[in-house]
Amino acid sequence: MSTWPFVVMVAAVFIQRTSKGWSEVAQKVVMPLGVAAIGVSLWQLGCDWAGAEIIPTPWRTALAMREITASDRLLGDSLASLYRVTWGFLLAAATAIPLGLVVGWSTRSFWAMNPIIQGLRPISPIAWIPFAILWFGIGDGAGIFLIFLSSFFPICVGTMAGVRNISLVHQRSAANFGVSGFELMRRVVLPGAMPQIITSLRIALGVAWLVIVAAEMCGMDSGLGYLINDARFMGNRYDLVAATMMVIGLIGIVLDLLIRRLENFDEVKWGYVKQ
Amino acid sequence: MTQHESKITDPKVVVEGVSKHFMRRDEELPVLEDIDLAVKPGEFVCILGPSGCGKSTLLNIVAGFEKPSAGRVTIEGEEVTGPDPRRVFVFQEYGIFPWASVWDNVALGLRNMTDKRKQQETVEHYINLVGLGGFESSYPRELSGGMKQRVEVARALAVSPDVIYMDEPFGALDSLTRLTMRAELIRIWQAEEKTILFVTHDVDESIQLAERIVVISDRPGRIAEVVDVDLPHPRDLGSPEYGQIKNRLYELLGVSNVV
Ligand SMILES: Nc1ncnc2c1ncn2[C@@H]1O[C@H](COP(=O)(O)OP(=O)(O)O)[C@@H](O)[C@H]1O
Ligand SMILES: [Mg+2]
Repeated sequence: MSTWPFVVMVAAVFIQRTSKGWSEVAQKVVMPLGVAAIGVSLWQLGCDWAGAEIIPTPWRTALAMREITASDRLLGDSLASLYRVTWGFLLAAATAIPLGLVVGWSTRSFWAMNPIIQGLRPISPIAWIPFAILWFGIGDGAGIFLIFLSSFFPICVGTMAGVRNISLVHQRSAANFGVSGFELMRRVVLPGAMPQIITSLRIALGVAWLVIVAAEMCGMDSGLGYLINDARFMGNRYDLVAATMMVIGLIGIVLDLLIRRLENFDEVKWGYVKQ
Repeated sequence: MTQHESKITDPKVVVEGVSKHFMRRDEELPVLEDIDLAVKPGEFVCILGPSGCGKSTLLNIVAGFEKPSAGRVTIEGEEVTGPDPRRVFVFQEYGIFPWASVWDNVALGLRNMTDKRKQQETVEHYINLVGLGGFESSYPRELSGGMKQRVEVARALAVSPDVIYMDEPFGALDSLTRLTMRAELIRIWQAEEKTILFVTHDVDESIQLAERIVVISDRPGRIAEVVDVDLPHPRDLGSPEYGQIKNRLYELLGVSNVV
């Protein structure tokens, strides 16, 4: 039984408590670091309790992290996953936003399309894997298709909701100044729905990053999901599995930070003001 | 209005026997009953009544946003069937677009102008007229309530409408800003000679602004009386005439001026 986790936990709590009078920046650094230190300590205790074969220790995982980052496979597999996510996501955005704008705005299109959209939406993209492989084979095509499916519905539904939330005064303003047709879409409907569209893009990208790993574990021969499978089947290297999971998490955070930058444009900031 | 006067100037906006009811669940909710009204060109008319009496409904019908259940509205003899850029509505809850800059908002009605220099000049003119010079590239969320309302007024004026509809446009502003905005509105009205229909539930506001006040009774809204305000601008809020009109309006609205 290691003793250091207890020492670290006590120290972390102590430092967190004494940080109360420090500057805001220091507190914002110390508080999450303290939680992370406690988390790693609990992790170590879990290993001690369950055995290192069941849970790889933090130290082994750190070594595994060094191992995978030194190998050239990590970069290649990360890029494979990112490639599929990028294309699937962009194709979904390019089709789901226009469809959502039209279906959200026109009541008759809404009647026509909404039941189909709502009917397909609850089907997990994972359930499509057999067809994805049947139609596109093992490789990027199937991955892109699955990401397309998993991004399409959140974006489409978010765009529809954004359009339907455009306030009556703005619709009436547009009508009053004779804005109609394509111009109405460009000047009122699209910008009016944009904050919600961006939120749906964020959600969709998050889901896409979840789905690609599962898809690669089920039926692909590259990518971070495949890397996890590989580590597991080629000798039960659960330390490599854990290290890869961390890389997946880090890339996920970076993707979210990147897409959140869309929220900073002047044209959409109005949609995110806190009341 | 006497027969003699109506021959001199044909009315601009005519409301004839307008009634409106909404369906609420299975019940019919009468909101307006048999409204008749004629507004002369260049006239400033206030529609005054308690909240919920149907003022907004009436203005929305006149502006073409809603259909009357009975009766009709004509402008220069032509029946109103929908909104029209020649008549602009200023909304109570800000109708300007939060996703567009002040300049783009004011330019909305001029977006198809081919002469870009003329467009630039017109937009600038009206932004300056409402005292927002220097805020062209600001976004509405960066402006105070009063400034947003000015943007909306500039957007309306920029298309040179002959009629402006205003639905409690200053309702959300603090009382000082409200006073300034009223004075500015009068200045603009005198300079640009627009016909203005202005909805308010504020007795003082109506006396400060209007040439005629149309008092609407509580729901279902009927015209209780039309009160003339024959006072020159700028109006003396302490004058006996002002007080008389105020008393009369309170009487019509069924409340006492004595608290
Ligand atoms: N679209 C609508 N559907 C049902 N009832 C409505 C609708 N619009 C207004 N009303 C009702 O009509 C009445 C008058 O509303 P409104 O014209 O907004 O009053 P005001 O502007 O004088 O305060 C209110 O009781 C309101 O609830
Ligand atoms: Mg109202």
